[in-house]
Amino acid sequence: MPGVLVYVEQVDGEIAAVTRELLGKGKELAAALGGSLSAVVVGSGVGAVAQKAAAYGADTVYSVDDPRLSPYTTDGHVAAVKAAVAAAQPSLILAGASFQMRDFGAALAADLDAGLVVDAIDLKADGGAITAVRPSHGGNVINTYAFAAGRPVVALVRKQSFPEAQPGAAAGSVQALALDGAEIRTTVTSVAPKTGAVNLTDAAIIVTGGRGLGDKDNYYKLIPPLAEAFGGAYGASRAIVDAGWVPYEHQVGQTGKTVSPKLYVACGVSGAIQHLAGMRTSRNIVAINKDPEAPIFRVATFGLVGDVNEVLPLLTQELKSRLGR
Amino acid sequence: MHIVVCMKQVPRDNSVKINPDLSINADGIEKIINLFDEYAIEEGIIWNEKHGGKLTVLSMGADEWVEQMRRALAMGATDSLLLKDPAFATLDTIAAAKVVAAAIRKLGDVDLILTGRNSTDDESGAFAPALARILGWPQLTYVGKVIDVNPGSKTITAERHLETVVETVTAPLPAVVSVIKDINNPRYPSLLKIKKVAKVEPPVWTAADLGVSGLVPTVTVTQRVPPPPRPSGETIDGPDAATKVKKLVDKLLENQII
Repeated sequence: MPGVLVYVEQVDGEIAAVTRELLGKGKELAAALGGSLSAVVVGSGVGAVAQKAAAYGADTVYSVDDPRLSPYTTDGHVAAVKAAVAAAQPSLILAGASFQMRDFGAALAADLDAGLVVDAIDLKADGGAITAVRPSHGGNVINTYAFAAGRPVVALVRKQSFPEAQPGAAAGSVQALALDGAEIRTTVTSVAPKTGAVNLTDAAIIVTGGRGLGDKDNYYKLIPPLAEAFGGAYGASRAIVDAGWVPYEHQVGQTGKTVSPKLYVACGVSGAIQHLAGMRTSRNIVAINKDPEAPIFRVATFGLVGDVNEVLPLLTQELKSRLGR
Repeated sequence: MHIVVCMKQVPRDNSVKINPDLSINADGIEKIINLFDEYAIEEGIIWNEKHGGKLTVLSMGADEWVEQMRRALAMGATDSLLLKDPAFATLDTIAAAKVVAAAIRKLGDVDLILTGRNSTDDESGAFAPALARILGWPQLTYVGKVIDVNPGSKTITAERHLETVVETVTAPLPAVVSVIKDINNPRYPSLLKIKKVAKVEPPVWTAADLGVSGLVPTVTVTQRVPPPPRPSGETIDGPDAATKVKKLVDKLLENQII
């Protein structure tokens, strides 16, 4: 069947938002390809999630339920999905683009000798031919990919690229598949939440500080309180991460995280091209910098020229009183 | 033991242009070792210093890449190997991994492959997993800490630093490991060492040497464009900071941004 198979990511027993996007887009692409939409749920004790996937539009949900599949291992999850690929024979396999999905998706594509696109932001299926759009070079180049005929395509999709599917009556069927003959060579001895984890890539609002803050103490005095007033997370430019002010975890840019929040507030950040690479697709950008010539103003939705030491405490105060935080 | 570090040369920043034939034009931009690969080189040196043996830097590319390979040698790599062939110029990531896998098989005695989590130009992070699968070796990606490399038990134990969790994982060797930025502090090579390796020419292996042929890209680029420009922004003016701040918050609320 020239259809679409979606890898279902789970968050605390629920279907991840990115998967709901993929089920929505996958339905449309499957129709364009003249095939059906299937989903594969991989893990241990995942029966309830498989039922939920059926409610989001998958015609067939393959459930590979095995104690060896939790926690995640490349060997385990690739073997499980290959069982679903063998059953569904999809022409397109969709998954998210998190670190774990990159570990998985590139391995699966290599095993299947499939076409691969990572960080897809758009997908099309015209007359059986799949094309994908992905940014590279820090968002400075937007590439359209075509794929060799006769092989499947694995597309890892950047989240918030498509609208989420809405749940309906569970029409699809759930089919169990066995994890046969899989050799899992790695042993996961612990999975620990990151201490002080900041999932910047999930934050709707990010307040970032740069060298304009002057020093580490000033960064912590001004940036986290402002982030809190906005109800967001706080980030940092490479310069101040390399200077040891802020852990790498918070770095936005070419060698840090790529973020695309609803609002990005850059404070004392000059806007080097490497920084812009990590945030230029933010829906709204506020720049606060005392240098009116700073490149960050060129991408700003709202630019405010001023001294961060004066502006940021006022802004924190104003937000607290106006938003009641 | 024999550790191989796969490294790539990249432009220092991504202010690249697009050629009429859709290839990337990075002329005039300084070329550096892909930052994440530099961490892989340092990690290779650390474990090579502990266990001895060989530390080979391997790169697939043109002659101009040799300069960055020499930098890796000056840092502490013991050997270098350049894979160069006109047929390698337009390969996609998986096909490139097939070529590198052929070289690793030809080397024969490799225990561990280290590389950066991704290149800062292409940014896919697909190379390490693809290489591991093609070789049939286990993979540990996004490693932020190597806890132990044990030549006796032939295992590696490392922390994978994902978005919100840290996994501790043990894999049998040989294995492929990709590293993130904060794993170590790459050393600066001394001038003496830079001079010492200035004339080193890495051995070159071609497609014929590797016995690879008929590599067909599974992906082709049909269009490459710059991103759409951002709509021009608005400057928040006012006689003093307090007025500007009030105006800014007004704008954010009016536009339902907050």
